[in-house]
Amino acid sequence: MQTQLNQQEGQATAHRKDAAAANSILVADCGSVLTKVSLLGLVEGQYRLMARGEAPTTLAAPQEDITRGIVQAINEIELVTGRQIIVDGRLLAPEQPDGNGVDVFVTTISAGGPLRLLVLGAASPTLTDLVSQAVSGLYAETHALPSPTFTASMAAGQLSQPGATPLPGVGPVPWTPERLALEWRRQIDRLRELQPHAAIIVGMADGPTGATPIQEACQLLVNAAQEQREKTRLFPLPVLYAAAPQYVEASRRLINGAGEVVRLDPLVSASNLSPISLAVSSLYERSILRRLPGSETLWSWSSATPVATATSLSSLVRFLAHHYTMNVMAVDAGGANTTLLLAGERGEFIPMVNAGIGVGSGLGELLKRVGSQRISRWLPFDVSDEELRQFVLNTMLHPHVVPSNQRELQISQAFAREAILLTAEALKTGALSNFSPDLVLATGGVLAHAPRPAQAALMLLDALQPRGVTSLVLDRTLLFQQLGAIATVNPVAAVQVNENDAVTHRLGTCVIPYGTLPPDQIALRVVVEYSNGRQVQVEVMSGSIEVIPLRLNEQALLTLYPAPTVDVGLGPGERARAAEEIDGGLVGLIIDARGRPLVLPADKAERHARLLQWSQAIGA
Amino acid sequence: MAYPLGWSVRLQVVVRRERWPGGSRAGAVALVYPGQMVEPDQPVIRLKREEHGEELAGLPRLSLPAVTRKLPAIHPTALALPALGEETVPAGLRGRVVDVTARGGVVIESQVVAIQGVLGAGPQVAGVLTLWQALGNDGSRSVQPIPPGAILVVPGPLSFLLLRHALNSGVVGIIASSIVLRDLEGFLHADLLELVNSPGGEDLQSRLPPLTIMLTEGLGSLAMPARLLQLLSCYQGRVALLSGFTSVRRHALPELLISLTAAEAEALPSQEPDLALVPGARVRVCSGDYCGRTGEVLSLFLHRQRLPSGVRAQAARVLLEEGEVIVAALSCLDRIG
Repeated sequence: MQTQLNQQEGQATAHRKDAAAANSILVADCGSVLTKVSLLGLVEGQYRLMARGEAPTTLAAPQEDITRGIVQAINEIELVTGRQIIVDGRLLAPEQPDGNGVDVFVTTISAGGPLRLLVLGAASPTLTDLVSQAVSGLYAETHALPSPTFTASMAAGQLSQPGATPLPGVGPVPWTPERLALEWRRQIDRLRELQPHAAIIVGMADGPTGATPIQEACQLLVNAAQEQREKTRLFPLPVLYAAAPQYVEASRRLINGAGEVVRLDPLVSASNLSPISLAVSSLYERSILRRLPGSETLWSWSSATPVATATSLSSLVRFLAHHYTMNVMAVDAGGANTTLLLAGERGEFIPMVNAGIGVGSGLGELLKRVGSQRISRWLPFDVSDEELRQFVLNTMLHPHVVPSNQRELQISQAFAREAILLTAEALKTGALSNFSPDLVLATGGVLAHAPRPAQAALMLLDALQPRGVTSLVLDRTLLFQQLGAIATVNPVAAVQVNENDAVTHRLGTCVIPYGTLPPDQIALRVVVEYSNGRQVQVEVMSGSIEVIPLRLNEQALLTLYPAPTVDVGLGPGERARAAEEIDGGLVGLIIDARGRPLVLPADKAERHARLLQWSQAIGA
Repeated sequence: MAYPLGWSVRLQVVVRRERWPGGSRAGAVALVYPGQMVEPDQPVIRLKREEHGEELAGLPRLSLPAVTRKLPAIHPTALALPALGEETVPAGLRGRVVDVTARGGVVIESQVVAIQGVLGAGPQVAGVLTLWQALGNDGSRSVQPIPPGAILVVPGPLSFLLLRHALNSGVVGIIASSIVLRDLEGFLHADLLELVNSPGGEDLQSRLPPLTIMLTEGLGSLAMPARLLQLLSCYQGRVALLSGFTSVRRHALPELLISLTAAEAEALPSQEPDLALVPGARVRVCSGDYCGRTGEVLSLFLHRQRLPSGVRAQAARVLLEEGEVIVAALSCLDRIG
């Protein structure tokens, strides 16, 4: 092969066809805080993780070039492997006979912030929820700005019902023309404050307000565009039109230069969310990813179009669920976003990206949403509101810092629990309560960098509160998010690395009895038969956690004898015996008999004692 | 990284900044044209006032019991904009006008000393840099008169009372080392977390009390490093441009810009900021027990080190200014020079 140094225009396509036969694959994940780069290579005919590097993401000034962080992370790999990958600031591709360079380069990105999408028109709570549902697998935030007339009509409708109480913020003050004018002003201010990347107009014209909400949505955009005297890229704003189809052309004419209207199927029910999802996904790539500083160079290096990290993780999770015929749940606790993905063995898939909620720059929004009490309930010590707020502010301003003492670590892990919990709660469909994962995959810095594997396990158990029997796997290499993207160019590499490297950090199998756990009595008797014939029997008290030694690469047969009112997945009191041997892990076999839902003691001293007790029991 | 300019102090750097007094102002007229040279005290924008006494509406409000205690009242005139009429906006920078923006802002290119803060609030203001001394020359405590229109430099931590005093005295900006979060939020009457996290935070700045604040060290009660104070005192009496705008989403931090004369610019070294953490680099600890302390990197560890938190991270040995040697994660260090 001939040596090529990728230029701005890139030679990516030239070696894209060779990706499936690549000797080496370099994969970068540009997170909001850190950029992680992994080098995969063929070792004895199998793709393996050879080295990885990490560097701060360099989106902000003074670097303002996403590739600089990637290069710094690659430099770490170069140092470890002795392989030269970057020459004169450019990626050396394909791999050279002397072993330098790489054949394939792929990227996933979660940096750049979420796409802010305004929901305009007859933006009822139902339609706004549907839009949120449509974009739930993407890095996107929705902000509803219902038309003033529609809001007034909703308020009037609410008040006319017997015994109805006024909607918060809309009643009981009558909607006079002055108030409507004020609402217009408020909406324009709100629009300017939100700095949206796009808008979607929703609502049919068959309500009491007719087509007025659609007209007002257009008017709002026009007014805001006229007031926009600053030099920004806000207007013309991409506008997705998913409202009454008969008014699409009229709306296009009305919006004129203030927006670029894209017509979609009208949004009326959950059955037509896909077009919105696809359109917003495309807008995300156009308005966020392609506008990242340094994106041109990054695109030119890449063997496949860079994708959002959540999209890549989704591909992996769906693949695993299909391949192993099991229910898979994936959690990514990131700095700016928290992602929860459920993939069922029968092809079900429920994504939830909680954009703007995270344990780095997303801490402010997280604290605002859950309040300090929900954070402090996970801490075995007293903490003031002010200390929490100061921690949040400092972390938001310095999202790359790692906890330097035990107190900071525990606070950051408490926030991680709530970020995951909040994301689980956002799955309003009840999907989570009916979903029984066979495997929980956990990734993201706060989990991967937990000093002890048991700390990660406890965070997952506290936040996800799974039931029955499940396996916990921790992605300490932070490779999971990238495997989906790797699969697009080389599926074999994705599978082999997943099996050989990414899942080597199995935390262990968990047994989580639920139902009515008799207080201060035995909830469950566990019999473990090790491969060497040794047998261990453990009685687990309600309200406690026990860990039975079962190390990594060890297997054992498990028999569970629950108390009559306790369920381990087969019904109350039903004995369960695993048909196959269960796997051990870094923590061991975890029996979490604290009950579901997990209720923390209301008394502070008792709660502190319990938290410490659970932490010690699991080895966190 | 933490500092958009690279280092928190740049002795000589060319910057381009839009002179804009904040908020959405109708009827702003640029009084200068591209290519024109301007002086720091030269009016460059004429503003027409549209509203009387704009209130602090629309700001994220506090709801925490810790900060809703009864606070001493702020003088009502301090919260109101001047009466209807016109006002002019001084350049704040010496240099060349390179653009006039659609809203009427004036973009000026200038050679400056740039000092970046850790946290701040308030729109861009221009004023005379004035060092505040709490004690008289004889060591006796005295209340120093504060000149209206000044940008006040307070060597130590701020307090709510001092902020109020400055506001009532007509000071336009204040630079200090640190402040307790509760005092700052109490003064701003705003939730600081929401303020720095808001996507459109720039507009909100103009609705805060008209006193722009820049903290060089952050929250708490940290002192200002001696060399920074010394630098600021060298430029006492000069017109400077201060912005308190801090935004996580826009990667914006507060900054103070002091234009240099041609002779000064020639005398001062121009250095490209190197963000690499290498032995000899001056750093500030931005997290943990030593947060806010500054020092010098002595050496870097080859392998990841276990921190007191148990987390393993790339780390360095740092000699703090106080003489103590600590081991700190590289991610907890900001290079400042």
